[in-house]
Amino acid sequence: MKVVTRVSEALQIPRKKPITGARAIAEAVKLADVDVIAAYPIRPYTGIMNALAEMIANGEFMAEIIVADSEHSQFEIAKHASAVGARTFVGSSGVGLAYATEAIIVTAMDQLPVVAIAGCRALDDPGNFGMEWNDVLLFRDSGWLISWAKDPQEALDMTLVAYRVAEDRRVMLPHFIAVDGATITHIAAPVDVPSKKDVTEFLPLYRPPYPLDPAYGPVTKAQHIAPSLIGPEQRKHVDVAMKRAREVIVEAWKDYANYVGREYSPFIEAFHMDDAEVALVTMGAYTINALHAVEKARKDGVKAGLIRLRYFRPFPFWELRKVLSSVEGVGVLDFSYSFGSPDSGGVLFNEVRAAMYENPKPALDFLFLGGREPKPDDFVRALKILYEYVRTGKTPGNKRVFWLTLRGEDV
Amino acid sequence: MLKEGSSGLSYLEDLVWVVIHGRGVWHTGPASLIARTLAMAGMLAGRESYYYMRYDDSPERVNIPMMFYVVMGSPKVGVLLPEEVEPVGKLFSAVIVMDSVLLLKETSQRATLLDGVKNGAVIVVNTGLAPSQVAALLRKYQLSRSWSGKLVTVSASRYHNNIAFGLMGALLKAWNIVSLDHVLNALEVLNIDEGARRVVASAYRDALVTEVRLDVEEVRREREKIEIPEFRAGPWDIETYRKYQKALSRARSYEDRIRIMPRWEAIAPGLIEFGPRPGEKNLGFKTEFARIEAPIVDKAKCVDCKLCSYYCPDGAIDFKSIEVDYEYCKGCGICARVCPAKAIRMVSELERVEGLEDPELRKLSLAVREYGY
Amino acid sequence: MSGEVRLFRSVKEIPPEDYYTAGRRTCAGCGPALAYRLVLKAAGPNTVVLGPTGCMYVANAHQFLTSPYALPWFHTQLGGGGAAGIGTAAAFRALMTKRKRIPEEINVVVFGGDGGFADIGFAGLSMGVSYDYPRLLYVLYDNESYANTGIQASSTTPWGATTTFTPSGKVKRIGNERLKKNVALIMAAHPGVKYVATATLWPPLDLPNKVRKALESGGPSFIHVLTPCPKGWFTPPDLAVELSRLAVETGLWVLWEYENGKFKLNYKPSPRKHVKQYLQLQGRFAHLTADDIEVIEERTKKEWEMWMEMERTGRLIIPWPSSPGDSGDNMTL
Repeated sequence: MKVVTRVSEALQIPRKKPITGARAIAEAVKLADVDVIAAYPIRPYTGIMNALAEMIANGEFMAEIIVADSEHSQFEIAKHASAVGARTFVGSSGVGLAYATEAIIVTAMDQLPVVAIAGCRALDDPGNFGMEWNDVLLFRDSGWLISWAKDPQEALDMTLVAYRVAEDRRVMLPHFIAVDGATITHIAAPVDVPSKKDVTEFLPLYRPPYPLDPAYGPVTKAQHIAPSLIGPEQRKHVDVAMKRAREVIVEAWKDYANYVGREYSPFIEAFHMDDAEVALVTMGAYTINALHAVEKARKDGVKAGLIRLRYFRPFPFWELRKVLSSVEGVGVLDFSYSFGSPDSGGVLFNEVRAAMYENPKPALDFLFLGGREPKPDDFVRALKILYEYVRTGKTPGNKRVFWLTLRGEDV
Repeated sequence: MLKEGSSGLSYLEDLVWVVIHGRGVWHTGPASLIARTLAMAGMLAGRESYYYMRYDDSPERVNIPMMFYVVMGSPKVGVLLPEEVEPVGKLFSAVIVMDSVLLLKETSQRATLLDGVKNGAVIVVNTGLAPSQVAALLRKYQLSRSWSGKLVTVSASRYHNNIAFGLMGALLKAWNIVSLDHVLNALEVLNIDEGARRVVASAYRDALVTEVRLDVEEVRREREKIEIPEFRAGPWDIETYRKYQKALSRARSYEDRIRIMPRWEAIAPGLIEFGPRPGEKNLGFKTEFARIEAPIVDKAKCVDCKLCSYYCPDGAIDFKSIEVDYEYCKGCGICARVCPAKAIRMVSELERVEGLEDPELRKLSLAVREYGY
Repeated sequence: MSGEVRLFRSVKEIPPEDYYTAGRRTCAGCGPALAYRLVLKAAGPNTVVLGPTGCMYVANAHQFLTSPYALPWFHTQLGGGGAAGIGTAAAFRALMTKRKRIPEEINVVVFGGDGGFADIGFAGLSMGVSYDYPRLLYVLYDNESYANTGIQASSTTPWGATTTFTPSGKVKRIGNERLKKNVALIMAAHPGVKYVATATLWPPLDLPNKVRKALESGGPSFIHVLTPCPKGWFTPPDLAVELSRLAVETGLWVLWEYENGKFKLNYKPSPRKHVKQYLQLQGRFAHLTADDIEVIEERTKKEWEMWMEMERTGRLIIPWPSSPGDSGDNMTL
């Protein structure tokens, strides 16, 4: 007689299951036992809130979930809940983030450790589901910590680590986790969800130093000021918090590896950089495609390397400078732009160049704008242009900045 | 080598500054008219001239002291525009004071009348008091520093219900950076009516000029002993803040206050202050400087209905004793209005503390108003 | 509902402690400051206060590390009042439900101006009263302009008032030509709201008692308080209470409550004083002619027919005359 074995017994079940980035982030929020969530729909980040709402509706965990009237209200809700002492979660995309700008900015100045997902999306007009980084980068100067996930697994891990870093008394700053739009939120990839026990030990209860709670006395927060009396002193606190965040981030990822077993190099991930002559620098989900291009180039005899920044704020300038010290040229794969900026380049490009100021390297910017997705070949082309530039000092049209996915003349 | 500090900026000496002290809403119109006219006169005299209201402590509040500045460049240099002139150096060559109660108080919670004033400068006061009485008030209350210069008094509302004209005439009597002709021409250029020009000329004729000398070295030395709280880098609590507040409440000048304000490490992160405990007031910030008139409670008439206490916007009348807290009362007069027993009357603050009657204080008028500050 | 509401029967029962204390830069005779003080006296110590940007933010500016608030107080952005209240209330509920904080009844009072609640934060306020958080009270202090920035018209500035954005001029004589928005009526149209009222500084006890009722109503609540502003209304600083009384007695400001689906008029001026008694004290209306004032009087008269109808039926009616030109008059309001 033939014995029928149940599938689950026949296979060794892997720790990881394919789940979408949206669901993965929601799992992290649940594990972090977040208290207050403020939701407002905008693609592509919405799925995270859908998942959370469902979890809460089914009693998987307990949180107040508020359906706000706007993104501005969403971020205000999170800010004020955080001030009372609640762990909060919020998020948005594209013009939603732009709409919430005011509330987002004050959250950092108030030093409240709100954690938010930015599901990157091209800013309007026109409406566009494509991915650009400019929505998150609106906040690069605002005092928010900004990390960039490459896949659903890292988005989950980064969310948990974000709470730990943001709520650290040395930091007390809000934290964005940027995910490259639908390439993370809407794509299911293998994800290992850590155990509740590990997360609880890794992430202690949130206790703000001066809660807005009558039990803690008359705390006045964010009074209007006479600037000559106290203006710079208050700004300095945010500056110092951002600087201190560097060491806290390193500690947190180390500790995360201890509890959860997944190790990450905290600030940058480097591929084939030991002997690289040319390096691509990028962030986020397309790293995996860029790596294919780099490895193809290596097969063709070009010593190419790849660097992925995991944090944009604090910007890992020191780590980047070090890893780029021996290369001869740098190409930035850039989904951001700044019209009229130096060389009319991307935001990331100019940040990378500024980081290399002490030890400048020839640098090119490869722009992927308007939400049109790059093809794997585009990255190969980028490497080719970069390699030629390093070898001959020449680029097509003598340019520094290339709109690689553009139809028509790239003037 | 560039030198630090105001002494390094010798060209400041070539600039001419005038400061006008008045009260929000009551004096904004006249003060702005003086400033505008002087700036125009400065331009007619060949000097690049600016004027502005001091902005950073949100000045336009009823009764709350406010300031206008006029700055005139020299033929050699253009103007310099610090928001706060006082800490830059002693730059004011003229001070215009729009009511005599301002002599009794710090003019705002920041600067005193004499902060930033040059020796030899002119102080013009709108008052019906005799010059000797005004000089006595200066000696008694303006203790922030020693000073000598000219005092000009004028009863400006005698000439026009806009006290700007009388005050300008009086200023010109002792201050010659611009001439009477420059001012009269400025009024014409600005399309201000003919009558106003005659008023300025009459006030110029009538104003009284006296020399004044204030010697307050001893007071100043005393003040330097103010205890500055020891620096402590967190954790911050209400007690740390209290220490600063206490020291600040003893400060008498702008310089003192800046000296006492804590460095960044000594303030809590996240924009935190600590309020008073219930039953207390905001001890570090008294508001008597806002009072022009003071309520006097006649206990014999009081029926203890508590309405005055209930209706005091500033909570400055004690609920139990119906005593007015003159450190906080802003003198709005609501208490006197709501008192069913007519047990509260309003007298000028000058009368309350000095027994002096200044007819100019009875003529405060809202007729000349300017919006938008 | 948390039991019987303890109301003040006399001024002598008002708690002597201030939670919005002396020592701040508000104008002498500031109506909003007085309302703030009374609201917090009635709310008591177990309260968190949130202040959207506005006069009551900037005039209470920090001076040398001090604060006038004897309660937890936090700024929120000009349009953030509704959301700030929700965020704070949600945090308390979550923390208490999850036993991260000892359960307790805590009031959340958001004290926003007409700009903050009637204009930029209108949508947020609407969201705020749509949730079921108890002890969440939104107080609109209405000084009928953006007074902090120098008296600019808001959507609650009355017709005929001169402001810096709607100055009375040679060509546009009237000044503000928009009609005052009745925010309380709109709030009452929210099915989740438990208590809606209007108030001003007169009669005494009206405002503190309404605050008590609102906080005990078992859900979100809203009180629209008319607060005279000496700076913006061009009046001497001693008139705040007088003007509050005249606003009520001329019928230009109607005191009412809406609770459990029932409308109640709190004060019927009889005989109603002519509106000019209120208007003539204020410099902002000084440019109006006798005819202009009659237009306001006529409109007020018509509106009052509706207010009396509401009192009779206990139902809310939109009280505005059906069209500007009806009933044979030429109402140009």
